[in-house]
Amino acid sequence: MELFKPEFGLAFWMFIAFLCLFGILAKWAWPFIIKSMEERADLIDKGVAYAQEAKSHLDNAKAEADKLIAEAHNKQAEILREAAKARNELIEKARSEAADEAKKVTEAAQVSLEQARKEAEKQLRTEVGDLALQIAEKVIRRNIASDDAQRALVDQYLSEVETKN
Amino acid sequence: MKKAITAIIAVVIIALMALGYADMAKHSHGGEGEAEVNPQEIIFEHLGDAYGWEVPFNHSKRIPLPIIVWGKDGLHCFMSNRITDGQTYEGFKIAQGGDYNNKVVQVMDDGTEVRPWDFSITKNVACILIAALLVIAIVFKVRNWYKRNGMKAPRRFTAALELVVDFVYTDTIRPIMGKEAPKYGPYLLTVFFFILTMNLLGLIVIFPGGANLTGNLAVTAVLAVITFLVTNLTGTKHYWKEMFWPDVPTALKCPVPLMQVIEIFGIFTKPIALMIRLFANMMGGHMVVIVFMLLIFIFGNMFGTGVGAAMTPLSVALSLFMLLLDVLVSFIQAYVFTILSTMFISMAHVHEHEHAE
Repeated sequence: MELFKPEFGLAFWMFIAFLCLFGILAKWAWPFIIKSMEERADLIDKGVAYAQEAKSHLDNAKAEADKLIAEAHNKQAEILREAAKARNELIEKARSEAADEAKKVTEAAQVSLEQARKEAEKQLRTEVGDLALQIAEKVIRRNIASDDAQRALVDQYLSEVETKN
Repeated sequence: MKKAITAIIAVVIIALMALGYADMAKHSHGGEGEAEVNPQEIIFEHLGDAYGWEVPFNHSKRIPLPIIVWGKDGLHCFMSNRITDGQTYEGFKIAQGGDYNNKVVQVMDDGTEVRPWDFSITKNVACILIAALLVIAIVFKVRNWYKRNGMKAPRRFTAALELVVDFVYTDTIRPIMGKEAPKYGPYLLTVFFFILTMNLLGLIVIFPGGANLTGNLAVTAVLAVITFLVTNLTGTKHYWKEMFWPDVPTALKCPVPLMQVIEIFGIFTKPIALMIRLFANMMGGHMVVIVFMLLIFIFGNMFGTGVGAAMTPLSVALSLFMLLLDVLVSFIQAYVFTILSTMFISMAHVHEHEHAE
């Protein structure tokens, strides 16, 4: 049963071969491979973390932009509403002012009309009185002794006429 | 259509296999009587070492390998084809039978046969060297990839190798060894790849494979001894203290050193278990493959040529199945050896504060 008796020569060569193999690989290959693999794993991890961060940033930016747009919309609506209100108020104010003014003008016109009428009346009365006096004077000049009594009589008559009107 | 062609090819191959056996059996009948098949001899010839390397389809021709022996009269080096056919060269020949069956012996003047120090490059040694070169080649392939391409991910074969390295180192060695992983990783990775390569080379039936390396006790013993040395030479003070003065009731360790005996016994059983496990698994796998093939001849001898021929497809199918299973076993055993070595080494690196946790 040769298999169960370890052969010295084989063990010797196996030992030599293994030591050489280990020496070569441990010096030039394994540390470099392990280091490179770990570096790459780190790099990939970092890349993934970076990408996730960037994605979250992007998502945030989008949400922020949406918020800003919504805010702007709100503001715009408010401004429009306010403008409409201001316009209505302005129109209302202008309308009432115009009405007031018109009323005032009308009133002033009425007052001046009244005055003019009164003045005209007064003038007419004086003129009619004068005219009547002149006529009466011409008619009855000689007969009448006192001018003043006659004049008072004409004035009385004229007042009667006026009240009759 | 494709299926039909495959089926026809399969039938033809099976028929050829059966006919081949029948033809061979007829020839041996015609020759010097029934060639008695001795399964045990065949099995051990295939599993054992040899001074030449068989070539396919030929039983007598062998690739000669150098024989290096240190006899009574000093060093002798010659090629194995000078003695493999039974000749004696410079006083050396291959013993037939006796204690040194199939080994080189020196014939002394009085006719006795003495075994010299035998450093021959036998089939197994040559295969070990080939395996070592292969491991260097594939590991440097990965290393050169990183040298040339930096952080780029490798493709194809290099990527597969990197996956294995990653699996062994990142998923196995680092979790167990922790901070010490970079220090012992190279050794453990070398062990893994060397064993894996030797296992797989053993499954290839023709040159440069076919040598039953990890199914040889000498090979596994060397590996186990190295792990034993690494474990115990790098062991911490606490590891030795645990061995000679463990934290157990004094009665268990003081008058009768019961625990110490158990612990010291444990030091040696661990590498022996490593050695036997790898050896038995690989040798067993090879043996079963050969036995399945031999079924053809055993049945043929017992029940006649027809049964042997009919047995051929079944035997080949079973052998193929076993070989595929052995591929799996090759990986598993290489991995088991590595993970157990890792655990033994890390167990020898206990520290007081870790223990207190």
